Amino acid sequence: MPRSSASSKSRASARSTLAAQADRHALYERAVQDPEGDVKFFVRTYRKIRGHDPVSMREDFCGTAALCEAWARSSPERTAMGVDLSQDTMNWGLEHHIVPAGREIASRVTLVCEDVREVKRPKVDLTCALNFSYNCFKTRAELLSYFTAVHAGLNRDGVFLLDMLGGTESILEGTTDNDHGDFIYRWEQAKFDAFSHDFQCYIHFLFPDGSKIYRAFSYDWRLWMAPELRDILLEAGFSNVHFYWEKTDAKGEGTGVFYEPDYVENQEIWWTYIAAER
Amino acid sequence: MPKKTAKKPAITAKTVAKPPAGKKAAAKKAAAKKPPVAKKAARPTLAQRADKHTLYQTSVQSPAVDIEFFEGEFAKMRGRKPLRMREDFCGTALLSTVWCQSDPKRTALGVDLDAATLAWGRAHNLERAGTDVARRVKLAQADVRETRFAKVDLTLAMNFSYCVFHTRDALASYFNAAYQGLVRDGVFVLEVYGGTESMSVMTEERPVRGNVTYIWEQEKFNTIDHHTLCHISWRFKDDSVLERAFTYDWRLWTLPELRELLLAAGFRDVKFYFERVDGDEGDEFLTGTGEFIARTEIDNQEAWLAYVVALK
Repeated sequence: MPRSSASSKSRASARSTLAAQADRHALYERAVQDPEGDVKFFVRTYRKIRGHDPVSMREDFCGTAALCEAWARSSPERTAMGVDLSQDTMNWGLEHHIVPAGREIASRVTLVCEDVREVKRPKVDLTCALNFSYNCFKTRAELLSYFTAVHAGLNRDGVFLLDMLGGTESILEGTTDNDHGDFIYRWEQAKFDAFSHDFQCYIHFLFPDGSKIYRAFSYDWRLWMAPELRDILLEAGFSNVHFYWEKTDAKGEGTGVFYEPDYVENQEIWWTYIAAER
Repeated sequence: MPKKTAKKPAITAKTVAKPPAGKKAAAKKAAAKKPPVAKKAARPTLAQRADKHTLYQTSVQSPAVDIEFFEGEFAKMRGRKPLRMREDFCGTALLSTVWCQSDPKRTALGVDLDAATLAWGRAHNLERAGTDVARRVKLAQADVRETRFAKVDLTLAMNFSYCVFHTRDALASYFNAAYQGLVRDGVFVLEVYGGTESMSVMTEERPVRGNVTYIWEQEKFNTIDHHTLCHISWRFKDDSVLERAFTYDWRLWTLPELRELLLAAGFRDVKFYFERVDGDEGDEFLTGTGEFIARTEIDNQEAWLAYVVALK
């Protein structure tokens, strides 16, 4: 899940606890991100739609810019621009990703502290908005203005890639734990309002010594539904919207391979990619 | 339609896909249609003898309850009694009939595209209500997006029928027409269903009057575009089934979408009324009370029913 605003008032009391020693950005990256997987999917999808490879990529709501780094690292001609409102989070990314990646890769990554609706240049082949961060736009007018800005910032054969969260359990309150061994990632859906689709969520990190980083990240979202996203993307000027779905194996586990279905039955919880052609 | 009661968790939350009675009943029905020549003519099943419009009215409609609620809320908001009502997607015009029966000064206009259903309503509802009531109910075989009708105090779109409009443009043009068709302090009411089960493939059965089982089937729900294909069937005590007597090809609109489109059409305010449910924490089922309460936020649940009330 996205990073945006964090409330870190909940630092564990004693300095020595695992929570006190932990870095929430590092935990976040381990728990929810897979930048190499994203890059692979982006390139494959872009190639399928456009018949050639994308070079420039813009990562909106980039946070620590892990994806920018993976993009620039994946091929020597590729450039990445990360956009986020939090300079602190981007600084963390500079220190942990971009600088350690070496001068050559770093020279192909630019980080911009700006509202994603304001950035229209330089134009790029591919813009992505992952970890559902666009859900911070709670009115149709705001989301439309964001999608319109993305459209304006794409090259003529550009593609916009988003992920989305859905399923019958995505519209309920509840908590999911993922055990990563040295910590537990807890995703909490604290509130879903059927009236407005306002969606209040938190990420907590729990440690084996009983300490925790409570509300390491907080999200005040509207959970946009698939047809709403399609309607607004088309209204923003995109010519075609593709919904992908992950293939599952015999056990129902995700395989990392995505296809484009016409009909998908709902599931309890799912996330997927959407591609919008300029 | 889903029944007019909220519940938690639903009876069929874990029932999957195909209607349990479906295949068997279909086979029986087929057999009944073509009786072996040698045998005596088979006695028609209850399903064959049933009238789907009658069943529909007794299974999913409760016009007197609806009217009581609408006139109460209208009086609170507007300080007067609504007299002129328009029933969009009126079908057999039962609501229009009961509306006019409820007060001798009341008039109703029922609008529907289907001539046969309107004719059934004339014969079964209007004629039986007597000439005084019948002359106050006008029926128009027309698209609800037409704007040529006389203005009314209250426009009602019950039973989720506006879900036949699959695009924002189509629904917006309907809401625009509804807005234009109202007097200055007019009110537009839509019935909405939702909840986690509304977005799933499922089948729900419940007993209705006369030893009949009402079967609501959500055969398809497409997560990508919210298109849903639903059917109503009835099963009778002789096990015969009136299969898929009604089929609906809908887009399931969500509350924020409806609110946005209503405001865009010009309505000044949009209120949501959720059915109040009864039951203790931990009860398997919560029972709908038939009482609707205005809410500004609501936790989602497996299934809910609401009225969206738009004020001009």
